[in-house]
Amino acid sequence: MSEAKGKEKELSVLGVEELIGEVHEKEVQVIAFKLNDELVGVPIEQIIEITNNRDLTPVPKAPSFVIGVMNLRGKIVPVINLKEHLRIPYEIPEDIYQKNKIVILETPKGEVGVIVDEIVGSVKFPESDVLPEPIGTIGIDVKFISGVVQLDGDLLILLNVESIFNQEE
Amino acid sequence: MKVEIPEELQEILEEFLVEAEEILENLDQDLVDLESNPEDKELLNKIFRGMHTLKGGAGFLNLTPVVEIAHRIEDIFNKLRNDELKLTPEIMDVILEGIDKLKEALQMLKESQELPDMEEIEGLLSQLDAVLKGESPVSSESSTESSSSHSPEVQKEEELEFVEGISDKLKELIKQFPDKDLAGILEEIILMPPDKRPMDVIPEIEKLIEEGKDVKDLIKKKEPSGGEEKKQPPPQRSETPPAATSETARTPAEKTPASKQKTSKKQEKKSSETIRVDVERVENLMNLVGEIVLDRNRILRVTQDVEKECRGEAVEKLVEAVTSLDRTVSDLQVAVMKLRMQPIKKIFSKFPRLVRDLARKLNKKVQLIIEGEDTELDRSILDKLEDPLIHLVRNALDHGIEPPEERIAKGKPEVGTIRLFAYHEGDHIVVGIQDDGRGIDPEKVKKKALEKGLITPEQAAQMSDKEAYELIFLPGFSTADKVSDVSGRGVGMDVVASTIHSLRGSIEIDSEPGKGTTILLKLPLTVAIIRTLMLGCNGQVYAVPLHSVVEIVRYQEEQVKEVGSFRSFMLRDEVLPLFSLNELLEVPDNNQKAFVVIVKVGEKLIAVSIEKLFGEEEIVIKSLGELLSDIPGIAGATIAGDGRVVLILDLNSLLADYKTKLIGVKR
Repeated sequence: MSEAKGKEKELSVLGVEELIGEVHEKEVQVIAFKLNDELVGVPIEQIIEITNNRDLTPVPKAPSFVIGVMNLRGKIVPVINLKEHLRIPYEIPEDIYQKNKIVILETPKGEVGVIVDEIVGSVKFPESDVLPEPIGTIGIDVKFISGVVQLDGDLLILLNVESIFNQEE
Repeated sequence: MKVEIPEELQEILEEFLVEAEEILENLDQDLVDLESNPEDKELLNKIFRGMHTLKGGAGFLNLTPVVEIAHRIEDIFNKLRNDELKLTPEIMDVILEGIDKLKEALQMLKESQELPDMEEIEGLLSQLDAVLKGESPVSSESSTESSSSHSPEVQKEEELEFVEGISDKLKELIKQFPDKDLAGILEEIILMPPDKRPMDVIPEIEKLIEEGKDVKDLIKKKEPSGGEEKKQPPPQRSETPPAATSETARTPAEKTPASKQKTSKKQEKKSSETIRVDVERVENLMNLVGEIVLDRNRILRVTQDVEKECRGEAVEKLVEAVTSLDRTVSDLQVAVMKLRMQPIKKIFSKFPRLVRDLARKLNKKVQLIIEGEDTELDRSILDKLEDPLIHLVRNALDHGIEPPEERIAKGKPEVGTIRLFAYHEGDHIVVGIQDDGRGIDPEKVKKKALEKGLITPEQAAQMSDKEAYELIFLPGFSTADKVSDVSGRGVGMDVVASTIHSLRGSIEIDSEPGKGTTILLKLPLTVAIIRTLMLGCNGQVYAVPLHSVVEIVRYQEEQVKEVGSFRSFMLRDEVLPLFSLNELLEVPDNNQKAFVVIVKVGEKLIAVSIEKLFGEEEIVIKSLGELLSDIPGIAGATIAGDGRVVLILDLNSLLADYKTKLIGVKR
């Protein structure tokens, strides 16, 4: 729990406001961020750090979704283009290697940084609010999604980190 | 068979496993030595003692299958050392089989707390029994609990007269173990299965020992089987007796042999004092030192800048302190590196046995000479070196050494020689295998490569002998069909080559048809910290391990020649194939070359043009993580002084695609 608090603190340092949803029985806390126009979230337990403007080193001959590698406290962490990985439209800005917002996730393949457009904040909601497979059309393949949550007007898509990083290229 | 070890015995089990492993490891070497020197009493005694200790420990922990095997092997050696049995290669085979089973059983015990079922080892046991019976004239004792080395008659002699006041049970025991003193009998009792242990005799024996009496004091008739002369080191350390005999540990009778055993043990270990440390702790220490090395490099650079920009007493003192720090960190680095070093003996010791078995299987006569087994190598290199070495030695035996008839016909000594050696050479270790067999015929190699479609006839015609030898490292060259029954694992020479390259080492083959082959593996001392050349390309900094760099020259347009689709670089009077790093890395090229790095790939020199050169630096290799683990040409990464990640290039694999073209592989 104290770790989660630390994370919130870091968020406020980054100038991010905390959005509080309804608070009920078993809660889920996610970090929400934007990918294009979609609001997506990852459970806070799977998030190691949120960071920005890191120097990235491009890796030649790596798969195209790999933007580069970064130094995270002496450890080398790959940073990937999550949009490409999720097969949604993307553009890579010229200054991506210096200006970026990165969420570092704990994945089955180790620590991996993903580039996001905007970090929205931390969201809490009861587990029962999570709806299974979304009906209708959102841009992301359902196999990468563990559910959706309706948050006053916005639809939050919960990403399934395991299935995203377990896929074979 | 699942083994239940009570909680309180766990520690003893672990100790036993470590000890047993040590015994068995030494045994392989001893046994092979023994075969060439079957009369060596000292060696026989040593093996006997080892088996005895093993049996003792296993008996205490009630590991019946281990006890049964060890016991029989011990008996065989007892006969051998008493000249009641003569060692033949057949007997040796059975013994070795028994040792293998013991190793297997202990491995099982260690990994899954299991042991082979008794049925599984029955065949082996009867084979061992056959050796015991078949070769020895009279001994008809079928009792498994007797290791009588002294004429079986002693046992049959019923007229042993005992002094008064001794229980019948003890009399029985003394008869059963005629060559044991009281302490020895006590041990035998401990070794018995718990349900057969005559617990009530134990206090009696203890009392007698306390009174300073021994078997000979209990027997009226003078028997040659007194305890004194036959005293053997007890199988157990004094900390292992069960509750009922815990007091014996303190009795003098037990103490003397125990201390004897200790001294003999010390001699074996050449009195070097050691502690066992978890590998993980050393790795951790290594990582930390790696970080310090990086920080030191950073501090050195900043200090140099400070020195340039300002002067003063404080700066001078800083420089002084930093210089001293620099030296200490270098020493620290070496010291920690040494922690990870282990003598190559660790793997060399497996070869006498391997060569022996294989030679017998192939009906060849071979002697193995091992040199430089104390040469130390980084543990992680050592671990990866074993399989390639086994493969190379197998190859030497299988393809190199000729059958005895052929050797005699050729006027060579009947017994072939394989030399396995290791030595230091600069900041490298050289591990080599030399045989005096038929050697490699470059023409045959070329022919085979042609047949397999690996090279074209024109390429074959132009190829030097050294280049021809290199062909055997190509994937698809290895004669899997012929090798399979001997090499077993299906590791080809291409795997050997790629393993050595992944360790940043190189392979050299030298061969003379009819005279033999020498294969040299050059390996770095350590894998964690390497010296690299920092160079620039497309605005990025890359590190290239210095060991592959032969020379660096300035890029000059007039030295570049276009030859067909390739470019070449004229270096003095040599023409080298030229690539730009940009094209190798598949990154944009602005054709602003400043330097050319000459690298050695196999036997070939290749020129690689680069844009910038930053100089030499010592770096710590870090992995790129699982997601990026197999990117061709990237060996890892390191963190530069400014905190940025710098990729380490593996030029060998970057050039692999081109290399095949260069040495002539059709795609």
